[in-house]
Amino acid sequence: MIGYYISLALRSLRGTPILSALMVAAIAVGVGASMTVLTLNYMMSQNALAHKNDVLYAVQLDSWDPNQTFNRGDGGNDIPLQLTYQDATALLRSDIPARQVAMHRYGFTVTLEDSEARPFTAETRVSTRDFFALFDVPFIYGGTWAEDADLSPEQLVVLSKATNDRLFGGADSVGQIVNLNGEPFTVVGVIDNWNPSPKIYDLNNNPFADSEELFIPFGLHRRFEMVSWGNTNGWSAGDNGYEGYEARLFGESVWIQYWVELNSAEQKSQYDEFLTGYIRQQKEQGRFPRPLKFALTPPSEWLVLNDVLEDDNRVLGWVSLAFLLVCVVNAIALLLAKFLRKAPEAGVRRALGASRHAIFMQHLIESMCIGVLGGLFGIVLALIGLSGIRALTLGIADRIASMDWLMMLAAIVLAILASLLAGIYPAWRISRTNPSVYLKSQ
Amino acid sequence: MLNMHNIRKSYRTDTVETHALRDFSLSVDEGEFVSVTGPSGSGKTTFLNIAGLLETPTGGEYHLDGQEVSGLSDRERSRLRNEKIGFIFQGFNLIPDLNLFDNIDVPLRYRGFDSKERKRRIEKSLEQVGLSARVKHLPAQLSGGQQQRVAIARALAGEPRFLLADEPTGNLDSLMARQVMELLELINQAGTTIVMVTHDPDLARRAHRNIQIVDGQVSDLRNTIGAEEAAVA
Ligand SMILES: Nc1ncnc2c1ncn2[C@@H]1O[C@H](COP(=O)(O)OP(=O)(O)OP(=O)(O)O)[C@@H](O)[C@H]1O
Ligand SMILES: [Mg+2]
Repeated sequence: MIGYYISLALRSLRGTPILSALMVAAIAVGVGASMTVLTLNYMMSQNALAHKNDVLYAVQLDSWDPNQTFNRGDGGNDIPLQLTYQDATALLRSDIPARQVAMHRYGFTVTLEDSEARPFTAETRVSTRDFFALFDVPFIYGGTWAEDADLSPEQLVVLSKATNDRLFGGADSVGQIVNLNGEPFTVVGVIDNWNPSPKIYDLNNNPFADSEELFIPFGLHRRFEMVSWGNTNGWSAGDNGYEGYEARLFGESVWIQYWVELNSAEQKSQYDEFLTGYIRQQKEQGRFPRPLKFALTPPSEWLVLNDVLEDDNRVLGWVSLAFLLVCVVNAIALLLAKFLRKAPEAGVRRALGASRHAIFMQHLIESMCIGVLGGLFGIVLALIGLSGIRALTLGIADRIASMDWLMMLAAIVLAILASLLAGIYPAWRISRTNPSVYLKSQ
Repeated sequence: MLNMHNIRKSYRTDTVETHALRDFSLSVDEGEFVSVTGPSGSGKTTFLNIAGLLETPTGGEYHLDGQEVSGLSDRERSRLRNEKIGFIFQGFNLIPDLNLFDNIDVPLRYRGFDSKERKRRIEKSLEQVGLSARVKHLPAQLSGGQQQRVAIARALAGEPRFLLADEPTGNLDSLMARQVMELLELINQAGTTIVMVTHDPDLARRAHRNIQIVDGQVSDLRNTIGAEEAAVA
């Protein structure tokens, strides 16, 4: 019967092309507008680490100002989002986590000995060796550096695929030398394409930026007097008697992102204890002036905490759905007009043996056909809307302003739901009308 | 076959209540050809609609084929209507944007026949009414008489036991009316029970039996045709 209803629906739509076009347009415009916004929101809320939600934690310690809380964004928990260098290096000494990563953003000028390749500045991640394993970064060649390199300066580097393509034409470059700021670094690994968006492992700057082009060991700070190229927050210079670069390393500024992998509840409670003990001990030395507070946050909550999907976007999402509802109401009026005009035919069908249910289904499927068409055109409108956003944002939003298959499917589902919503009342009305009224009137 | 006892039907609008049928009792036997006459507004169409399960009576008993049908659900009534009853209307009531094939197809679809069986029946019934050549035509491309024959073909395609015709010749000239009447007589001879509402006393007389409805009730079963003629005159 469904096939019969669909063929009737298509015939009926062809019979009133202008009215049909209006209804399809109503659904398409509503779906197009809401899918544009919902796609942005959806892409902004992607969690590349969802599969590790129950083992990965971002670490926060409240080492902040005694006179005021650290506060950033609506979703925040009043604890600094990053750690001080001294706390990060202290935590690295714990062997409770299965894996842990301390890291920050940096940059190097890259040159190649005996090469025509022009020098360029490369986004760099300074990290401990577990970065790749912790965040599931795939390698093409080689692998991460040995543990020593995180403690003492060893000039090793892991290249992104794009960088390796650029410098070595995609060949296995493990063992080759790359000059960073004029210093020779030995390539130990090349990673495959890897670009989580939002960039969940470091949301401090643009959460939708590309991932880094180079990765170097954490043991190189003093060698290059590295500080963060990313977001740094401070409240006190610290008065621990250090001078020069050491003073910057051991100040109270927060600029290190810290993640741990805790594979069991037991490990987690051990680590909780460890952090509590650490903060107590630091308090004895005059640091951590605020009430004892720390947080271990899994990836999905980390996205919320960092306010990646801002409230404005959420509101816009609801507004766009409300707009779709307005379009649906329009479609209801049009469908009602159309169905009631065809009421005599429904009367004849009833006389010939159609039940109310059959009439209801026939008309509901007609509205669903409008929904499917509206959905397809809605996708086209959403793609146009998203390309408009890409054009307006000059590349910043390229990766979030694009539709994947799931969102296209969602558009169709949304359109069908909208058309069902629009069609239920008109279809019900027509199925309830007394057929004899229309049979007489001819 | 059809057995109505004390059927009542009233329509209530905001202000008035119309008693379209009251204490309406009638039996029609298998194979009969019954004509129904009566003044306009007397309840003839209402009776047909109740007989054809398109409307439910306000009260009374109605047995169709021995089955009490008043309490049935819409789905069951629709199934009975589809299987046992064929309708023919004064206005033909063909679906204008479906060709003859698809029009006749309608009751067969609700019956759930496969496409082969539907095709067989459509062709057979079109042949019965002599319109096989017009299968792809739209209703508007046919004359009134032809349209009514298509409507009859559509009513016959499901091979109903029971044909209900509401002024089937009302919109036709006398020649075409006679053709349609002859067709109905043939169908009746083949075994289908027919109840036909008509204003035409000549046609009414050709039925086995004529009943007259006056003011929502069956009036005297004898000499009704004379009374009808008097009413018309
Ligand atoms: N749907 C309805 N709502 C209200 N009143 C109705 C309805 N259908 C019929 N009636 C009333 O019921 C009465 C009987 O109507 P019905 O159509 O059965 O008459 P009829 O005998 O078929 O008349 P005609 O010969 O003109 O076709 C009339 O008074 C009519 O106004
Ligand atoms: Mg009538």
